[in-house]
Amino acid sequence: MSNGNGKTGKQIEQAGPTCRRKKVSGGDEFAQAIAKIAVAQVCESKGFQGFQQSALETMSDVTARYIMSIGKSANSYANLAGRAECNIFDVIQGLEDMGYAQGFTGASDIDHWLEDSGVVREISQFVNEVEPVMFAHPIPPFPVVKERVLPPSFLQKGEEPPDDHIPAWLPAFPDPETFSQSATVNGRGTEPHATKVENDNSNGDRPLLNSQQQIVSSMFGNTAMNDPAVPKANTVAAESNPFLAAPLKFEDKEVASIAPPAKFFNNTVASDIPILENFVENEPISVLETFAPAIEAIKSTCSDSREDQTKFPVKEKPTVRFKVGTKNKFLARSIGLIPQNEEHNKTLPWFAMEDEKDDRKRRAEKILRESLENPDQLVQL
Amino acid sequence: MNQNQQPQQTSSSEGRSSADDDSALSDFLSSLTDYTPTIPDELVQHYLAKSGFQCPDVRLTRLVAVATQKFVAEVAGDALQHCKARQASIPKDKRDRQQKDRRLVLTMEDLSKALREYGVNLRHQEYFADNPSTGMDPATRDE
Repeated sequence: MSNGNGKTGKQIEQAGPTCRRKKVSGGDEFAQAIAKIAVAQVCESKGFQGFQQSALETMSDVTARYIMSIGKSANSYANLAGRAECNIFDVIQGLEDMGYAQGFTGASDIDHWLEDSGVVREISQFVNEVEPVMFAHPIPPFPVVKERVLPPSFLQKGEEPPDDHIPAWLPAFPDPETFSQSATVNGRGTEPHATKVENDNSNGDRPLLNSQQQIVSSMFGNTAMNDPAVPKANTVAAESNPFLAAPLKFEDKEVASIAPPAKFFNNTVASDIPILENFVENEPISVLETFAPAIEAIKSTCSDSREDQTKFPVKEKPTVRFKVGTKNKFLARSIGLIPQNEEHNKTLPWFAMEDEKDDRKRRAEKILRESLENPDQLVQL
Repeated sequence: MNQNQQPQQTSSSEGRSSADDDSALSDFLSSLTDYTPTIPDELVQHYLAKSGFQCPDVRLTRLVAVATQKFVAEVAGDALQHCKARQASIPKDKRDRQQKDRRLVLTMEDLSKALREYGVNLRHQEYFADNPSTGMDPATRDE
């Protein structure tokens, strides 16, 4: 960074201090920039032809502090007199306080009129002698206060608050659709818009109400079941928020393959009961259908508790080993491998319907077989 | 100021009526309004508001702006004196001096010297060590 001469060092200092300042100062950069221009103009009128960046910044900082210190002392004098607003006498007293360091005529007078004060005299001298230099640019009034858009209250919306303890002037509760999908455990993006659209198109095929099922089905190379709901959901979601858009189909984008996490399959069994019950009404089979191949895969690896769904058709990657012993047992029990009581059957109603709709199961198995044979044609996340 | 505006009936200085005070000051302030300070009003108002100063009167803002401009001008003048003094004292060949060093540049050196008299103590980072007095205490440095 050393350039041999302090005077030419200002070029290097240009980038440094400004980047540093962005992190430190917060919202005051506009005022600082204007102060720099003003100070530069005053110095120029005095005869300077150039400035060191650091010297200019320091001087503008000192100027800002000077103004703030005058304001602070004037305000405290006004408060001392029992007022909230300052008047000229407060300002003159503040100026006198600032002037004690340098000194002014009549500073030692204990009993003088404020308008006779030396600072006032010096200022009027300055005004008479020096020619005014206009500030170089027009400035808008700042800081600009942004209009806050408040959420509408119950009264404004015309709604009744749901309970007595909630007054009507409070902001109304958000729409249920905005938070209904937030119960998905997996943490993947929720798609309220996609959900709405897919609910409307009740499809004989597999309506994908949950992003999880979408991902699962797409991983199986579901180009066959390209239901019209999904592209529509894609456009709706993409228009609103790109992060909530439905995942792309296989052809759309080249993505790296990854191994699906272990808890993906295990958690959905246990924790998505409210959501699955929801669309049990619409399509009671689809959950099982989408999971049937996964369940097949788990069946095959059931005995091997150490290995995970990495046996699942993916490209060669170091297998991630999860302890899935207990969860596998649970799954295995639920799909009838391990004999269980009647009560277990009641707690898992959706698995009880596996006896019906065999052809869908067959289709899923066929897709799984195809994907096993052609691993590179798979859709991967 | 405008002492001759004092009414004749009050002989002692304590008897000055408030009207005179107002007129004296308002004269002063009106002389200010003719002068447009280089430091813009919005900037001064922003920093005054930051420190709690509240006044709807724009003339007071102008007063503070003029006072600040006077302060900056004084500091700049002192720094200029230091700069010129340094240029005069450095023994260099005349050709160099005429062309390049005539250029008066505000440096941290001069600024820190000028501000010290106003009670602002500046220490700045030395970027290079070509000067044998680099890193020494500024009071002991002689230039």
